[in-house]
Amino acid sequence: MNLVLHWLASTPDFAVPYALAALGLIVCERAGVLALGAEGLMLVGALAGVGAQLTFGNSALSLLAAALAAGVVSILFATMVIVLRINQVISGLALVFFCQGLTSLLGTAFGWENHTFAGLGTLALRQNAMVYLTVPVFFAVAFVLSNSALGLRLRAVGENPQAADAAGISVPRYRFAAVLVGSAIVGLAGGYLSVVSTKLWVDGMTAGRGWIAVGLVIFARWSPWRALAGALLFGCIEALIPQLAAAGVRLPQYFVFMTPYAVTLAVMIWAGLASTTGRRSGGEPGALGEPFVREERR
Amino acid sequence: MPERRFALEIRQRTSWQQQGAILAAAVLTGVLISTAILALAGVSPADLLKEFVVQTFFDKQNLQAVLFQAAPMIMIGLAASLAFRVRFWNLGLEGQMIWGAIGATAISIFQVGPETTRLPLMFMAAAAAGLAWVALPAALKLRLGVNEIISTLMLNYLASNFLLHLVYGAWKDTRTAFPHSPQFRAFERLPEFAPGFSVAILLGTAIALAVWWLTDVSRGGLYMRFIHANPRVAEAVGVPVRRMLLAAVLVSGALAGIAGFVVAAGQEGRLTQGFFQGYGFSGILIAFLARNNPLAAAAVAVLVAALFVTGRSLQVFYQVPFSMVQLIQAIIVICAAGSEFFIRHRVRRIAPA
Repeated sequence: MNLVLHWLASTPDFAVPYALAALGLIVCERAGVLALGAEGLMLVGALAGVGAQLTFGNSALSLLAAALAAGVVSILFATMVIVLRINQVISGLALVFFCQGLTSLLGTAFGWENHTFAGLGTLALRQNAMVYLTVPVFFAVAFVLSNSALGLRLRAVGENPQAADAAGISVPRYRFAAVLVGSAIVGLAGGYLSVVSTKLWVDGMTAGRGWIAVGLVIFARWSPWRALAGALLFGCIEALIPQLAAAGVRLPQYFVFMTPYAVTLAVMIWAGLASTTGRRSGGEPGALGEPFVREERR
Repeated sequence: MPERRFALEIRQRTSWQQQGAILAAAVLTGVLISTAILALAGVSPADLLKEFVVQTFFDKQNLQAVLFQAAPMIMIGLAASLAFRVRFWNLGLEGQMIWGAIGATAISIFQVGPETTRLPLMFMAAAAAGLAWVALPAALKLRLGVNEIISTLMLNYLASNFLLHLVYGAWKDTRTAFPHSPQFRAFERLPEFAPGFSVAILLGTAIALAVWWLTDVSRGGLYMRFIHANPRVAEAVGVPVRRMLLAAVLVSGALAGIAGFVVAAGQEGRLTQGFFQGYGFSGILIAFLARNNPLAAAAVAVLVAALFVTGRSLQVFYQVPFSMVQLIQAIIVICAAGSEFFIRHRVRRIAPA
C-alpha cells in the first residue's frame, strides 16, 4: 500500500518533462515544422537552467533561463528549415548533435557538472509548484490551439500553407513563431529535468527523453490531451523503477533501464496497428515536414 | 524585410563545378567557425594546423591511425547512404554496430569453428546480427507504417543497454576490473597486410567498390534511384518498391554490423562498453556530404576518420573534450545543408526604385 502511494506520488515528477516536451513539439508540428530537435533543445534547457540556478540560486529564474536558451538556439533551426528550406529531418538531427556537443563542452568549461543544489520545495500532496503549473499551461496551449483565431491560423499554416497564404496569413512568420514558442516549452521541459527533478547537470542527462517525446506526439496524434495522458503513462513506468528497487525486487538493472525505450517502441507499434486496421487515423498535420515555397515552380 | 530588397530565383540548371564550389565554400565556412570555437577553447589556429594537417597526413604513424579509423567509418558511411538511397532514415547504425560486435564476440567466446575459419565466421555473425537488428524497424515501417526514425533510435538504446548487461555481467573479463570482454585470441584479430596497416582498410575498400557496383551498375541501383526520386511513380512503373527497400535496408544493417566487427576484431581486440559512440552521426554526415555516392562516401569517411584522430590528440594534449568533434561535425552538416539553398536558388539584389 505504501509502495503504491509512493509510486503514485512520484509519477507527476517523472511525467512533467515528457508532457512539456510533447506540448512544445505539438505547437511546432501543428504549424507544419517537423521538430526532431527536442533531445538537443532539452539538453540546452537543462544546462541553461542549472547554470542560472548555480549563478542566481532562484529556481523560477532558472526555468525561465531554460526556456529562453532553448528559444534562442531554435532560431538556428528555424532559419535552417524556414528561410533556407533545408530538409527538416537533416536539420533536426544536426540540431540535436549540435546541442549535444555544445552543452557537453559548455558544461565542462563552466564547471557546472555534478554540482547539487536545493531547487524547488514541495507543496500539497508532495508535488512541486511546476507540477501544478503544468496543468494550466496545458489548458492554455490547448485552448489557443483549438479555440482561438491565432490557433486556427497556426493550424491552417500546418495543414495547407498554400491556402493559408492565399488567405493572407504569413506562413514563414507563423512557422517561425511556432518554432520559437514550441522550442521554449521543450527547453522548459529540459530545465524541469535538471533544476527541479534531478537538481544536477550531467552530460547527456536527457537520455533519449526528447526522442521519446517525438514518438509520444505521433502516438497522441498531435492532440495535447492525449499527449498528456501518454506522458503520465511514461511517468508511471519511470516512477515504478525506483519503487521496485526500494521494495527489494531484484531485476537485471540494464533490462530495467531499457523499459522507457521498449515502451516507446511498443506504443509506436500499437499506434501503427490501430491506424492500419482503420480504427483511428489522421491527426497528422497535412504539410508536416514540407517547406513552403510561395508561387515558385519546384 | 528581405523580400523587398532581394529577390529569389530558382536556378534552372547548376553545373556540377558550380555545385562543387558552393559546397566547398560552405564546408570551408564550417571549418572556419570550428577553428574559431577551438581558438576559444584554447587551441590556436597554428597549433590546429600542425595537429590536423601536418601531423595527421604527413606523419607515418598518424596516417596509419587515420586509415585504421577509416575502415569502420567507410562501412558506417556506406550503411547510411544505402538506407538513405531508399529514403529510409536508418538512425540505428550504432545499435546495429553493437549487435555486429556482439555477434562477432559470441563466436570468439563460444569458440565456434576451427582456428582457420574463426575470423570469417565472426565476420558473418556480425553481418547477420546487424541485419537482424534492422529487420524489425524495416518490417514495422513496411507493415504498419511505424516511423523508422523513432524505432531505430529506440533500438539503439536497447542495444547499448544490452551491451552493458553483457560486459558488466556474463561476458566480463574476470582478469581485469574493466567492463569489457576477454581479449580475442591472435587468430581472432584482423591481421596486418603490411607493417602497421590492418586488412580492415582493404576490406573497407572492397566493400565500397561492391556497394558502388550495387548502386551504379546493377539493376537494383536503378530501382533505388526510382524509389529515391518518387516511390509512388516507381511503384506505378513496376519497380518492386517494397522488396527493394527491404533489401537495401537489410544490407545497410549488415554493413553497420560489419563495422562493429571491424572495431572489435581490428581496433579493440575485445568487446568494450562505448566503442560505438560517435559513429551514428558520423555515418549520417558521411552519407549527406557524399550525397549517398559510395565512392565519395569512402573519401569523406577518411576525412571524418582524420577528424576523429585529431579529436583524440586534442583531448590528450589540449584537454579539449571529445564532444568537440561532434560539435564540429554538426556545424559542418549545418553549413553544407545550407549550401543546398544557394545551389538551388539565386539571391538577386534589387536596386531601390
